[in-house]
Amino acid sequence: MLSSIRPKNRVIFAYLILPIVLYVFAVFIPLVTAGFYSLFEWKGGPNKTFIGFENYVTLMKDSVFWKSFSHNIYLVIACIIGQIGLAFIFVLMINSRLVKLKGIHRTFGFFPSTVSAVAIGFIWTMVFDYKRGILNWFLDLIGKHDAIKVWLNESGLVMLLISLPLIWQFIGYYMVIILSAISSVDKEIFEVAEIDGANGFQRAIYIVLPLIKNTLLVCVTLCVAGNMKAFDHIFVMTAGGPGNASMVMALYGYKISFAQQNMGYGSAISIGIFITSLLVIGGSQLLVKLLSKDKGGDN
Amino acid sequence: MKKKFLSVLLAGVMVVAMLTGCGGKSPASNGNTTAETTDGTQTQTQDAATAENTGAGDGAATKTDVAQTDLAYKGELELMHFSTSEESEGNGGSDGFRTVLADWQTVHPDVKLVERVMANDDYKTQIATLAAADDLPDVFLLQGMNTKAWAAQGLILDMTDIISKSPYAAQYDDSTYYPFTSEDKIYGLPALTGGTCAVVLYDSAKWKEAGFDTFPETWDDVLKAKDYFADQGIDTIAFGNGSKWQINSTFLATIGDRFTGSDWTHSLIEKKGAAFTDQSFADALKFTKDIFASGIFNADFNAISNEDAREYYISGDAAAYIGGNWDVSYIQATLKDTDLYDTTKFAVLPQPAGATASYKTHATGLGYAVAINSDVADDPDKLAAAVDFAYEATGPAFANYVATKYALGGLTKVENVDLSGFDQFTQDFYNYQYVDNKPCEIYDSYISSAVWDVLNTDLQSMLNGELTPEKVVANAQKAYEDNY
Repeated sequence: MLSSIRPKNRVIFAYLILPIVLYVFAVFIPLVTAGFYSLFEWKGGPNKTFIGFENYVTLMKDSVFWKSFSHNIYLVIACIIGQIGLAFIFVLMINSRLVKLKGIHRTFGFFPSTVSAVAIGFIWTMVFDYKRGILNWFLDLIGKHDAIKVWLNESGLVMLLISLPLIWQFIGYYMVIILSAISSVDKEIFEVAEIDGANGFQRAIYIVLPLIKNTLLVCVTLCVAGNMKAFDHIFVMTAGGPGNASMVMALYGYKISFAQQNMGYGSAISIGIFITSLLVIGGSQLLVKLLSKDKGGDN
Repeated sequence: MKKKFLSVLLAGVMVVAMLTGCGGKSPASNGNTTAETTDGTQTQTQDAATAENTGAGDGAATKTDVAQTDLAYKGELELMHFSTSEESEGNGGSDGFRTVLADWQTVHPDVKLVERVMANDDYKTQIATLAAADDLPDVFLLQGMNTKAWAAQGLILDMTDIISKSPYAAQYDDSTYYPFTSEDKIYGLPALTGGTCAVVLYDSAKWKEAGFDTFPETWDDVLKAKDYFADQGIDTIAFGNGSKWQINSTFLATIGDRFTGSDWTHSLIEKKGAAFTDQSFADALKFTKDIFASGIFNADFNAISNEDAREYYISGDAAAYIGGNWDVSYIQATLKDTDLYDTTKFAVLPQPAGATASYKTHATGLGYAVAINSDVADDPDKLAAAVDFAYEATGPAFANYVATKYALGGLTKVENVDLSGFDQFTQDFYNYQYVDNKPCEIYDSYISSAVWDVLNTDLQSMLNGELTPEKVVANAQKAYEDNY
């Protein structure tokens, strides 16, 4: 049966050739060339000097790169809690029978993730602005004048402040994914639980969570992958500053390659980002697998 | 069968669409067209053959007196620059460059100028990337700090002879070559207009109320005014360092010169022994740290851009503003016909206590030069066209235009500029830039962006009190040794 409708191999190949060529052109070739260039000292201009793995030795000792890496990890953790955690809670709230106009909540919740990150960066820069920002205006209004700060110039706070727009932007995105996962669960299960006297919290923890676990794990992977390459709104809000207090890996690679015109070392940083991201994503996958196995054993 | 035909056709269309999509650089060649490319830059092709509206050929109507030389070359000449139409509104140098460019195209209808125009920030990134790929355009604007590296790699044409053979050589201001010189060879004709990178704009009315007839000449006097302005609820001086380069270009280059003198700067540029760790430069940083901690600047100076900070001055929330000539042209355009326009005056950065190496200096100069790709020399006719363009874009045609329309100066000197036709603001700024004060070097016209990027990042941390001046100079010195 199946083989009768299966197209000929060469047809499958013909369909696949375009995306594969595109993939090779846009992902594979740049990666390989970056790996190649990372072995050279190449500071602008056509002249390159082969230096072997010296750029990688520098990278291992580059405190700014590792600081940037730790900032990426900070973003990953903040966004897993902030984006997926809040999205899960919001979904439960929207799904509750007490909430009216569900469609509107869904649409407006999703809306920020359609806005460009640069625009979001500008909006939140205005929120945090010292003289005209709504945050300082509000603090002034409630009499907390002492709490007024030049927010984006606070080295200790700046990572938290730049994660807020990111969290805000993508809650709706994860809401939609989680909503669709819940809607595929049989409604009767929830009704039975309700009849049995499970309260909202119990239903969320013991019924919804296990049933949409796999979707949540996909969300975590997306979230990790997305935040390892964070760039645009940080570029707009702080450009990695003050100093390097909000520097992330992609921004650092850009700075080295283009602002400092050090293409060789910039390529090494790109490869560094690639490897660290693979490790973090792989690590999170492994963790997720371990967790799901444990749960499987309980059942 | 029909289905199969249709699918093959659709696949074919897709492939063609993709290939043309990837093609990118396909400027339309009919008439004067402007095509937006995907990266937001503009590819302009001025096809002279169809430029009847400007009256191509001899005796054409041009706005400037561009020389009508005979050129043997027929064909395209690539040109990359950053004088966008937006930029040219209010910025005299950009307007002059665009005007001369259009006129040159008019009198040379056989040469097709293929322009790539983009904003300055994008330009700097793109030209560096093109240099790395050994794919520079025929003619472009060279930034001083790239000269040594690109000359060493043979990317740019040695123009020393070209400059000495220029029909306008006698009128050139020789002092402008220094940023574009490497091992006694000159690699470009300094372009656009000389503009200050450090000027204090102040509201003379407010400062008079504070007890100062003119802007204080020492920082100690500026500090005395702080409490008065604080009582008024405004900042003494507005400054914006959110993008990190401002503290270097519009403050430190000048203050550093007051502490170190120009010999130190030249020694650093020419690698003749000066170091960032020298005491005089460290003193300049210490002073910078202290003055920014003194409270005379707006509290958010490290988080906002110069564009934001100058709005504080425009709206009256600050009694003075420190910026560069680009800020002055914006403020001039914005304030026109207001009271503040009439009371706005210019002053040189005050003298720090303990700084004795120079007085009344301000970082100024021509930051870019018209340079030619060394490959162009393979085609003598094309080279002649490129050289002719370089002569005209920096020669009397340009200089007279910007002098009479904007009271600005460039490479070619214009004698006896008649200032009487300009308002007081323009006259004052002309005198500030070219008459009353002494020039000093703009740091980031030299050395390497890698050094300045490290220094600027550290300076931002230093102004927040998170790094000591000693640590900053040590890091800068390391970057200098590694990259220059």
